[in-house]
Amino acid sequence: MLFLSPMFLWFLAAASVPVLIHLINRRRHKTLQWAAMQFLLKAARQSRGKKKLRHILILTCRALGIAALAVAAARPIVSGLIGWGGGSIDTVIFLLDRSTSMEIKPGDGLDTRRQIVIKKVRDAMADLGAARFVLIDSASSKPQEIPSPEILADLSAVAATDTAADFPALLARAAEFLTDSTGRTEVWLASDLQSSNWHPEDDDRWAAIRATLAALPKSPAIRVLSITGPTATNSSVRLLGTRRTGDELLIDLEVVRAGDVRGSATLPLTTHLNGARSTETLTLPGQSLRFQKRVALPAGSDTGFGWLSIPVDGNARDNAAFFAYGPARPAKSLIVSSPGENADYLELAAAPPGLDSLSTQRVDPEQAANAITADLSAILWAAPLPTGTTAEKIKGFLTSGGQVLFLAPGGPSNITFNDLKWSDPSEPPAGKFFILKDWNHSDGLLRDGIDGTPVSAHRLKAIRRQIPLGTAIPLARWEDGEPAITRRVVDRGSAWFLGSIADYTWSNLGDADVLLPAVQRIIAAGADRFDTSYLASVGSDTARILPGETRTRLDDQDTPDPANAEHLAGVFRFGDRLLAVNRPPQEDAPEILTREALDAVLEGTHYTLLDQAGQANDPSLARDVWRAFIVAVLFFFIAEALLCLPNKQAINLKSEIPNSKPATP
Amino acid sequence: MHSFIDNALLSRLAALPIESRVPMLGNVVGKHRSPHRGSSVEFAEYRKYVPGDDTRRLDWKAFARSDRFFIKEFEADTNLRAYFVVDASGSMKFSNKGEAKIQYARRIAASLAYLLVNQGDAAGLSICTDKLHLEVPPSRRAAHLERFFSTLDKLEPAGETGLIDALHTIAEKIGRRAFVVILSDLFTDPAVFGDVLQHLRYRKHDISVFHLMDPQEIDFEFERPHRFVDLEDGTSLVAEPNLIADEYKTALHDFLTAVRSKCHDASADYQLVTTDTPLEPLLREFLTARLPKSKH
Repeated sequence: MLFLSPMFLWFLAAASVPVLIHLINRRRHKTLQWAAMQFLLKAARQSRGKKKLRHILILTCRALGIAALAVAAARPIVSGLIGWGGGSIDTVIFLLDRSTSMEIKPGDGLDTRRQIVIKKVRDAMADLGAARFVLIDSASSKPQEIPSPEILADLSAVAATDTAADFPALLARAAEFLTDSTGRTEVWLASDLQSSNWHPEDDDRWAAIRATLAALPKSPAIRVLSITGPTATNSSVRLLGTRRTGDELLIDLEVVRAGDVRGSATLPLTTHLNGARSTETLTLPGQSLRFQKRVALPAGSDTGFGWLSIPVDGNARDNAAFFAYGPARPAKSLIVSSPGENADYLELAAAPPGLDSLSTQRVDPEQAANAITADLSAILWAAPLPTGTTAEKIKGFLTSGGQVLFLAPGGPSNITFNDLKWSDPSEPPAGKFFILKDWNHSDGLLRDGIDGTPVSAHRLKAIRRQIPLGTAIPLARWEDGEPAITRRVVDRGSAWFLGSIADYTWSNLGDADVLLPAVQRIIAAGADRFDTSYLASVGSDTARILPGETRTRLDDQDTPDPANAEHLAGVFRFGDRLLAVNRPPQEDAPEILTREALDAVLEGTHYTLLDQAGQANDPSLARDVWRAFIVAVLFFFIAEALLCLPNKQAINLKSEIPNSKPATP
Repeated sequence: MHSFIDNALLSRLAALPIESRVPMLGNVVGKHRSPHRGSSVEFAEYRKYVPGDDTRRLDWKAFARSDRFFIKEFEADTNLRAYFVVDASGSMKFSNKGEAKIQYARRIAASLAYLLVNQGDAAGLSICTDKLHLEVPPSRRAAHLERFFSTLDKLEPAGETGLIDALHTIAEKIGRRAFVVILSDLFTDPAVFGDVLQHLRYRKHDISVFHLMDPQEIDFEFERPHRFVDLEDGTSLVAEPNLIADEYKTALHDFLTAVRSKCHDASADYQLVTTDTPLEPLLREFLTARLPKSKH
């Protein structure tokens, strides 16, 4: 609690006046010769207890009334931010969340959450007077001392960015800074409590931070300025991926409407490509829409860039998705299989007739080692698991981001690859089939289409199967619960296992309901590693300048801020590299940190949560509460008056004296 | 001239006689009814003649009508002897809002004594503290009043009350029926006081009690803490009067109720009086109430 007129606090001493008067009165009593002593002694005996308590209450009410009056005159300001006794804070470390999600506007104002909290912290710091003020922003994570809170809002270090915040890292920096700091210190965290920024699952980092804070000579008070609450209407557009196929760029997009919205809505989606612009109307049937946009590239265009944007709304920084592309690169795949029906179906699925951008090569298992090259997108392996040099080559291929699909070898095999192997072939009871029943609709080879259309995987029936054994994530299961498709992530690539083959003596896999999408998705995932070299997230290693490079922004979507260029999304040229940099995907995650999770990560720090600090209609983090004390004054004095009221049932002895009246002079 | 004598008041009250509520035994003829049959003009009853009766009191007309001898008896009138018992304990010295209780007692005793002697009755005085220490025997002579007044005048209240012992002594000591007027603040045990009233009543005395209180003792209004010192035994108590006023009044109310009840049980006249009460209406009401109903 702070006081705008602290000199009035001296009047708190006046609270002792009623008690002093009482004590002085007791000492300076008047002596009176008294006759009716027997009643007086009896009354004194009886009045102990209840009457004494009443008298103490009266004195207390008087003292508290005066004290409340003195406090009210001192103009108290109270807030969870400054806390009680906050007048002697020596250092304030302000951890500011500059992530994209902080750029949303509350529903009741024009400023963004970041701007609102900066103003409030500025005012609170002005109230604190001479306290040392250190800013650590989430974009740079560098501590910098702010000479005057007045300039806080004008600093580039508090400007908007397209970054994601990392609060464990920020608190670690603050703890590191505090090791050299003395005096009473407070750490103020301004955040919208976006769960992805707090990493509550990272127990080890949080434990280390708590230990560091606890080891400080004087633990700082931690105030969390929770900037949550209602927001203005907002929609965001996010780039999921791009792939060039010939003269066409396939862009996977997601448009999301924030909040609990119902019904469909239309949005204009503008495509900016190499300086040209076109707009189309997008209809969102619900809260979100994932779709693939095909952008025709200019003939002969090797490289280029652009962005897709929706109109500015509640958050101006999530309305654009940047992309860049390089020369067309056909997706090559390798089929390793003995000749036969299975190999034929795989070849058809890998390179359907008429698609020039897809090519495949078929080799026997013995020749596989020589055929595996770095420009392959995927390997379709329908043979016993590789061994020796071939296995090593495939591991290297996986490490570099390649995709490998292992199909059942078609016979018993004890060979292991990366601790994975196949079971012996098995058959269902007579007259029955192995039917694919459960599969992951959001991940894996059988995930639903980008528009939500499910794969008809339930049509897959097998009369023979082999179960993939070993530690791998099952993504589809047979009716009896045994895994049909599993995945093992190996560094940047993935090894997939499918427990049957496209042969009529095994299954109807060749019917294309499962095989075609599975193979195409594996090839697309493998080819993405060539296209993703043009995409990066703000703050990622790829988006950093390498020695000898300079950063040049190519797009004009936003007014460039040179001081914050590395923290902004856009299309950049880093030396010879062309890179479209978008906000990190975690900034679009809507989950908010729960109070329980906050308690868990800040356990033992005795932090204070100042809720709703981001509301524009709440002008200050501190509240002038003198009115409350005036109410308290009235309360105490009314209570004192009520306690002093004479007993209504008091005996009127005069009525018992018939001739009692003043004597005639 | 004594300060407690108000000639104007006495002259205004002179027209009102002091009547006894019980028949009195006196040695001279007076205006008060006697338990004996006497020579008054007021007929009492007939009774049969027995040898030895005064034949002058035979009712010949009754003999003529009934051929039997009847003696005609008349009420005997006699004088009244009044004993004023004045409590001279230390508590009677108290005065705050009104005059001291002892002074008020003086005025009542002196006024009533004057009226009694003036109508031919005898008035005596008993002063009591912790023991009966001064007594003026009753007398009808006008010169006796001066002694009565002087004794009152010299009265100095002190010590604890000896009212109960004094009244028991008076009850035993007075051989004949008398009018006993008690002037006290009665700061004693009401039960014990009730016993002594019954004692007096048993001796067929006519009892009147003037219960004297100071207005401050009734109101108990103070503005600051006080150290109360007992006028009788010097005990002291520091108290915040406002805090104990209710309890004090309750205790006092209980005491007054008990005293009134005891007086009622002993058929004694009870007058609760504060010292700021004008004397004339008090005495006028007292005297009027004692008049026989036929004389009202």
